[in-house]
Amino acid sequence: MGESITFWVLAVVSVIAALGLVFSRRAVYSALMLGVVMFSLAVLYAVQDAPFLAAVQIIVYTGAVMMLFLFVLMLVGVDSSDSLVETIRGQRFWAVLAGLAFAALLGLGIGNAVLSPPKGLAAANRAGNVPSLAELIFTRHVFAFEVTSALLITAALGAMVLAHRERAEPKQTQKDLSRARFVRFGQLGRNPGPLPGPGTYARHNAIDMPALLPDGSVSPLSVNRVVARYEAAEGTLPPEVERILQEEALSERANGHVARPLGEEDGK
Amino acid sequence: MNGTIQAPTLEYAQLAPMLVVFGAAIVGVLVEAFAPRYLRSAIHVPITLLSLAGAFALTIWQVVKGVPTKPAAMGAVAVDGPSLFIWGTILVLAFVSVLLINDEDHFVAAAAAVPGSAEEEQALHEGAGHTEVYPLALFAVGGMLLFPASNDLLVMFVALEVMSLPLYLLCGLARRRRLLSQEAAVKYFLLGAFSSAFFLYGTALLYGYAGSIDLAKISAALGVVGGQETLLYIGVAMLGVGLLFKIGAAPFQAWKPDVYQGAPTPITALMASGTLVAAFGALLRVFWVALGGLDWNWSPVLWAVAILTMVVGAILAITQTDIKRMLAYSSIAHGGFLLVGVVATGAAAGQNSKALSAILFYLVAYGFTTVGAFAVVTMVRDAGGEAWHLSRWAGLGKRSPLLAGIFAFFLLAFAGIPLTSGFFGKYAVFQAAVAGGATPLVIVGVVASAVAAFFYVRVIVLMFFSDPAADGPSVVLPSRGTAAVVGVAVLATVFLGVFPQPVLHLAQNAAQSLFIR
Repeated sequence: MGESITFWVLAVVSVIAALGLVFSRRAVYSALMLGVVMFSLAVLYAVQDAPFLAAVQIIVYTGAVMMLFLFVLMLVGVDSSDSLVETIRGQRFWAVLAGLAFAALLGLGIGNAVLSPPKGLAAANRAGNVPSLAELIFTRHVFAFEVTSALLITAALGAMVLAHRERAEPKQTQKDLSRARFVRFGQLGRNPGPLPGPGTYARHNAIDMPALLPDGSVSPLSVNRVVARYEAAEGTLPPEVERILQEEALSERANGHVARPLGEEDGK
Repeated sequence: MNGTIQAPTLEYAQLAPMLVVFGAAIVGVLVEAFAPRYLRSAIHVPITLLSLAGAFALTIWQVVKGVPTKPAAMGAVAVDGPSLFIWGTILVLAFVSVLLINDEDHFVAAAAAVPGSAEEEQALHEGAGHTEVYPLALFAVGGMLLFPASNDLLVMFVALEVMSLPLYLLCGLARRRRLLSQEAAVKYFLLGAFSSAFFLYGTALLYGYAGSIDLAKISAALGVVGGQETLLYIGVAMLGVGLLFKIGAAPFQAWKPDVYQGAPTPITALMASGTLVAAFGALLRVFWVALGGLDWNWSPVLWAVAILTMVVGAILAITQTDIKRMLAYSSIAHGGFLLVGVVATGAAAGQNSKALSAILFYLVAYGFTTVGAFAVVTMVRDAGGEAWHLSRWAGLGKRSPLLAGIFAFFLLAFAGIPLTSGFFGKYAVFQAAVAGGATPLVIVGVVASAVAAFFYVRVIVLMFFSDPAADGPSVVLPSRGTAAVVGVAVLATVFLGVFPQPVLHLAQNAAQSLFIR
């Protein structure tokens, strides 16, 4: 009784979460939906006499794989969304059609199969779930288990090959960086100190709000270029900041400076 | 619950060739970790070559000692006649490919540096290189050895991944045209992961049907389990998708030209020879051992796939302008010819062993020729690397008659002209197919061969009967390794074409006992 209640509750939850995973426009939502699906699966496993699988599902998938997904998403940028331009014309239509047809085939095929009555795990779990699994993994499937190590080594080696770059020049220390900042101050007159945060007279301490000077005007130094660019794209840029950015661009063009892309700082 | 588990028995002697290769790969990783940069290449090359040669020797020893009749490693690995023959083939081909890998700077200086960036310039200037390719190649070879010898679907899946993962990586490490190479690696990885998922899903469904992932037990369940045929059919179809993808059979051939073109040429040689051999071994084992009793159901599908593969490979090859893409399509077409042999099963064991020995012979013949052809491709260079465009090959025969002659010879072997190994390969496969009642398939095969011969001959005509361009590509003086590779490939192609009897005999002996169950 309890098992079927759990199943029907989790079945609804996990199917909705899976649909949300596919249809959500935001990658983080999709990742969290995936987490829900994985948790539901873990509970289903636990209900069906497979505690080891349930624990592994939570530890490995929800714990490790999901967190990796989230890390990658955060690294790539939460807001980066895929371009939805079709490179092959009509591809999406045919892909959806093929996918639906495949799902229908699977559903009808497996739905119509006369499955033998479930045996349950009682026989397999006679010595306890974990010991029985251990016996299988370390006797019958020991070779597959051992060969998997080759896969892990390859993955680690591959990550090193693709991502690790040996430093060609000595690392810049704090001292070098601050020396460079002051050299720039001497040559170009650029402010060596940190840029101001939201000022004393600001009405917000959010980073998209520029600092105000005592006379109530906006301090151009405190305009965060990355945020400003984002807001310009979203159309929520405060008019005063926009005016400042335009003035700056105009004066830079007048002085013959090459326009730097927004947000690029010298210390990089 | 008494807590005692009987220790598994592992037949180390039978598994030795694989263990040597995997062990050498791990030693290679340790070399990467501890040896100074300037020594690494000098340590890797002997380790890699010696381990491959050692594994080959162990394979021979296994044959001499007597082919085992029972699966090893608790029933996970089947070291039988066909396995041993395939192991020997793969090891020799891998040895030859490693000579190519070692040859010259085919690989990127710093994979992590963005193409065209200052870091890349600097890495090139410093002469940096990725010596990790040697252990990666060894891991791939280890996977190739296990893939055709796996006796259950789980081991086969793990082997598939062990074989593919290093290849995905190696594909992206070309030194020139890096964006193309990286694109190839991403495409191969995504499509490969997709096909692995199909394989896994098929495995799960077959387990649901038969209650076991052992090939022999699935075979035994075929006549016994009733009422769940849909599970079986969908499972077989999905398993087939996974395996046919690795072979590059149409309609799963789309990755092959892109990947062959983008990958560093020595890796292309390794993939075109070793992976194809391993994948055919695995395909045969799944379809003949596990699903042998079901051939009424799968052989029409494989008929269609074989016809489509031959036709697509032969016709699309005509339209190619890139030499590596052309060879890729040729490899697709050859996959189709080999599938003709897979379909040629019969009720009698004699027919099966005949078809099997024909396939084994074809694999050896094609493997050597293709490695040789790619070795020649590495030697024809422009300022920016290999001269990939076919028009650049015009008039090569006047500038460098020996090389052009050798390449023409390989192309004729691909086409299956008598006195080359390709002729006997095709002859054996087609003969077995006719005996197995697949005559229409053979007719399609012969027509596709004729179409294929057209574009091979077109390249030969281009090389010998058109004028060389003034700024045409130069033929680099081959290093000792490349020269050895080309020499071995030519010798093998001639030898198998003129005097195929010893290898045919070997293949027949290997195929006689068929696969063990």
